[in-house]
Amino acid sequence: MTFKKIRFVTDSTCDIPPELLQKHNIGVVPCYINYDNKSYADDGKQLSREEFYTNLSSMRPAPTTAAPSPGDCKAAIEAAAADADHVVIVTVASKLSGTYNVLRLGAADLPPDRVTLIDGETMSMGLGWQVVLGAEVAEATGDIEKTVAAVKKVREHAYLYAGLQTMEFLRRSGRVGWATAGIGALLQIKPVLLVKNGEVLSASRVRTFARVTDELVRFAHSHAPLDRLTVLHALNPDGAVDLRNRLADIAPADTIITSITPTIGTHIGPGGLGVVTVSKSWRTT
Amino acid sequence: MNTRAAFRATNNLIVDGMLIKDLFGSGLAWLEQNRDQVNRLNVFPVPDGDTGTNMYLTMQSAYREVANIRENHVGKMSAAVAEGAIKGARGNSGVILSQLWLGVAKALKDEEKLTAELLAHSCQSAVDMAYRAVEKPVEGTILTVSRHMMESVIERYKTSQDLIWLLKSMVFAGRASLRKTPEMLPILKKAGVVDSGGQGLVYIFEGMLWALCGKLTEANMATTSVFPVATLPTLAVPLSPAWENALEPDDEEGYGYDVQFLMRGENLSVDTMRAALADMGGWSTLVVGDEKLIKVHVHVHDPGQPISYAIRTGAAIDDVVVENMQRQYEDYVEARKARENEVRTDVEGVAVITVAAGAGLSQTFYDLGAAYVIPGGQTMNPSTGDFLDAINALPNDEVVLLPNNKNIMLAAQQAAINATHKRVRVVPSISLPHGISAMVEWGNYPNAPVDEVTEGMKSALAYVQACEITRATRDVELDALTVQQGQYIGLLNDNLVVAGDDVYDVTQRLLEKAGADKSERITVYYGDDAHDADAQLLVGHLQKRFSLQDFDVISGGQALYPFIISVE
Repeated sequence: MTFKKIRFVTDSTCDIPPELLQKHNIGVVPCYINYDNKSYADDGKQLSREEFYTNLSSMRPAPTTAAPSPGDCKAAIEAAAADADHVVIVTVASKLSGTYNVLRLGAADLPPDRVTLIDGETMSMGLGWQVVLGAEVAEATGDIEKTVAAVKKVREHAYLYAGLQTMEFLRRSGRVGWATAGIGALLQIKPVLLVKNGEVLSASRVRTFARVTDELVRFAHSHAPLDRLTVLHALNPDGAVDLRNRLADIAPADTIITSITPTIGTHIGPGGLGVVTVSKSWRTT
Repeated sequence: MNTRAAFRATNNLIVDGMLIKDLFGSGLAWLEQNRDQVNRLNVFPVPDGDTGTNMYLTMQSAYREVANIRENHVGKMSAAVAEGAIKGARGNSGVILSQLWLGVAKALKDEEKLTAELLAHSCQSAVDMAYRAVEKPVEGTILTVSRHMMESVIERYKTSQDLIWLLKSMVFAGRASLRKTPEMLPILKKAGVVDSGGQGLVYIFEGMLWALCGKLTEANMATTSVFPVATLPTLAVPLSPAWENALEPDDEEGYGYDVQFLMRGENLSVDTMRAALADMGGWSTLVVGDEKLIKVHVHVHDPGQPISYAIRTGAAIDDVVVENMQRQYEDYVEARKARENEVRTDVEGVAVITVAAGAGLSQTFYDLGAAYVIPGGQTMNPSTGDFLDAINALPNDEVVLLPNNKNIMLAAQQAAINATHKRVRVVPSISLPHGISAMVEWGNYPNAPVDEVTEGMKSALAYVQACEITRATRDVELDALTVQQGQYIGLLNDNLVVAGDDVYDVTQRLLEKAGADKSERITVYYGDDAHDADAQLLVGHLQKRFSLQDFDVISGGQALYPFIISVE
């Protein structure tokens, strides 16, 4: 088997830190945030995350999100293909976003044996770790089958939990059916979400953010031992550090703290915390 | 009612089922007469004074069970009384009362007649049963009073087998025990009252004794209406889907009329009156009194008959009450149907039945996934039967009960025990904030078995401090606290901790005691006599003191408590 040069393309919901993008030469297609009659690419340049989250609660009308343009997708895929034998595209969950579809369209011109499209079935670093760990396998083996298998294994063993300050943004987004039901209409409920198999599930519902954090710690522990861990926050860096410290017993050395992309933040609101765990078992099962 | 003379003629204690029923009716009547008196003996200066009402409703339910039967067998009559009491048991005292009757029924199960020895035996059984009804029996309560009363029979029955004498020693022992309750339970002493449940029990036996002696006098009975509500069958347990058919009157003429009146005159005869009512085809008959005053209660199809008859005897009649029971039955069926429609049958897994008064609080529970919210709470304690009806109306095999009040706890526990065809657990929530906290937690166990759900919900009780603001109904001194009637008082987890004239100040001090400055979220449920603006003003005031906390304001709609506040 010949050693193949494999490159990855994903979308901007992946939350992969810039140094890892650079290290693995990962192509990222930006989604868009629309508000105030303007459209901002979620590329980390056009939009300050801090500013966005600070203003999110008061933005009227509320911002909306949009999938990347097919042109952006085509350009990113072609750029990757020019430099590689095979392009692996991993996207945010197709059940939650049209991004999978535009990337599929963008890849249509490549011959099937040069491109693999994978529905990441999750988002943020749940998606990000599929790409990063897949890239590691690609660099080590040059084997497309092993690389694709690795991505799918990580997908199977990755769990994303997000603790929200309020149900309001989730309900408004309309993308999560159960959140639009009456729960929390009168009473403030802070949900802990689990994103898995392309769906946003209610992992827990509590009344205080102190308990949200307790639940995140509990869920993270349920997946130990961990190969990778990310602590996510939406304008809550202190909370993220506290959470990271509470997971010290299971956190791998390269644990990442990162702010969550505004594309997702639009739907969950400011102040939240999250964890993404990848169990060590992905390498062995 | 057998007079003293007639009874003495046997020179021995021989009681049949019908006499037990009559005694029971008399105990009920005398308790009703003194219901408010018992209610006023509330220990805490909160609008909690429903012990008398609860015991009365329990006794009434017991009597309704036997009102329509003619049964000479003591065991069968006692069993029916106990069944009715258990169905209608409300409040702690009511439930303990129902357990006393259950104990009696168990001891007399196979007995045709009651003898003094059997009475003593049943007294022992009653006390045993009552003490078992509560997890941690507290002395100085109805339990103590019942024990002293029953012990007096056990100690004396060999000396004399005269029922009047035994009943009298019971009542005297009860009164003596009652006087000692403030010494046993410090809270009673501080509040300057005797135990309300014990007092209720003494009234019941006083009523029996006085009726047996022919001493239910004019003054005693003048305002007594023995059965203000139609003698509808209480709900069958377990409830079949065809409850409507079960409730349909056997008599094709329908349920008829409930007629009550007093007869005044000379040389009146209880026995003659009773016989005449029987000739008229009357049922649920209760005739008590003496030759000068008789209280008549009877169910007939033609309400004119007993009234005309009474006048023909030469008696003057008074306090005539005629109620159309058929109409009441029809209204009941309609209300019951409306309620059944409220029960949510779409809850999967473990269903939750809870208790709340007020539209906002009920809606909050429904929003969180409750299958049924029984209307009730502080002022209206649901009975064991109410819980059982709701349990039976649900398709779920596993049910959790959330009573949200200490006074409803025992009724819920009894319902859980009696609902043997389903797995029913009680999560002991003592307040609405506790209940809501547990209800939120319920959503975290979508597919779990009932015991796991129950444990999870129990653990959620610890996440919340319940603060309740109301007004004192009477003066009281408790520990270092002096409360005057009408003042605002604050209860923290059901304990009175602050009092004062200014509602803002009382609330702020209450929240301080609840540790609100270290909490995260403060939710204010304002009651039906407060407004959103009142709550917002209160929150505005509290935010100055608790600046780091998130405040929510919800229209709870509860009675009596202007503000119920959860601190989490």
